[in-house]
Amino acid sequence: MTDMSKFADIHLDPGIIKRAARGDVRAHEIIYRAFSAPVYSICLRFTKSPAQAEDLVQESFIEIMRSIAKFRGEAALGSWIRRIAVTKSLMFLRSAWTKRGQPLADGWDDVTSGEPASHGISSHPDDALDLDAALANLSDVSRTVVWLHDVEGYTHKEIAGLMGKTESFSKSQLSRAYQRLRPMLGVDKNIQTSGAAIGSY
Amino acid sequence: MSSDSKDEEMICALTADEYGELQRGLRRLPETMPPHALWNRIREQAEAEGLLQQPLMRKRSTWYAGVGLAAAALLATVMLQPTVDLEGVVVPQETQTNIVEPSNLQALMVQSRQLESDLRALPAEPRVARAGTVATISDIENRIAGIDYQLNDSEVQMTPGDREIFWRERVRLMNLLLQLRYAQAQRAAF
Repeated sequence: MTDMSKFADIHLDPGIIKRAARGDVRAHEIIYRAFSAPVYSICLRFTKSPAQAEDLVQESFIEIMRSIAKFRGEAALGSWIRRIAVTKSLMFLRSAWTKRGQPLADGWDDVTSGEPASHGISSHPDDALDLDAALANLSDVSRTVVWLHDVEGYTHKEIAGLMGKTESFSKSQLSRAYQRLRPMLGVDKNIQTSGAAIGSY
Repeated sequence: MSSDSKDEEMICALTADEYGELQRGLRRLPETMPPHALWNRIREQAEAEGLLQQPLMRKRSTWYAGVGLAAAALLATVMLQPTVDLEGVVVPQETQTNIVEPSNLQALMVQSRQLESDLRALPAEPRVARAGTVATISDIENRIAGIDYQLNDSEVQMTPGDREIFWRERVRLMNLLLQLRYAQAQRAAF
């Protein structure tokens, strides 16, 4: 499995990071310009709400400003920023789940299924619309797990750690999500019947 | 995140073909740009919390800066044709940096100019369009205009590294804009 995350493609001059650590506003703006789109995209993907995603982007970049002096460069800057954005987004989702009085449990699908797919991502090339809509119709948990696993490249163990759940939880959420996404994948039936199923856990 | 351990994980519920299709689909999903004003909100909060240093005022008194700008403007007049984007907004003068900065910066500028040319080659925007698409296009254009403003602001003193980042971001946004306009043109054609 490859990491398809856009974060990995962005590289900044180490000098900019040093300047940012000193509170240089221009350096922070450069970091923001470089990473705002992937950070906003991930927040929007998780929350489905542009207003909430904007708040999370703001929180994430404020956190980056607070913490960048401690960034040692052991991991790529993009990975570090992504971690902040993911953590902020999951904290928000947990908070939202808590407010709604629902535990983060396997049965979450039953609570959220059928919610409308209004997530603010309204303008994409047509070939992406179906998948976008299908993702939006997944439960918050399933969509988050799909994104973390298949796009950001997190392992089930890491997802479990981020969500405070078990690896089995992450795997079962991914499995459910795949089952829901399967009808719209549009793979030729002849190919599909000849293709081997990828098995189970 | 070790891909090694991920390889051992099983992809349940999908065939290999379906999984491949899903991966391709996810890869095609475009990024979404945040609203243009969001940086100002973040900056205001950061300044209120004392996280940012106030930029020092720079004096513009050195004679060689004026000479440099004049030389750059002359070179720009000779080398570059003026370009105008779809909205009639003047696209940045690709000027001073042509002279002194690294070849990858030059490549980004050429790429940016090519993308502008590709954009101009598309049919005019349809009179009836999806509101979301129009809003996104407008947002991207605003972001590009913001970058252009900074690239062309003589008060701003950027390092070559900074300048390259801005140009790279400009190319990325132009690519995004081109994709959206292309999709829009395709829809209008049917």
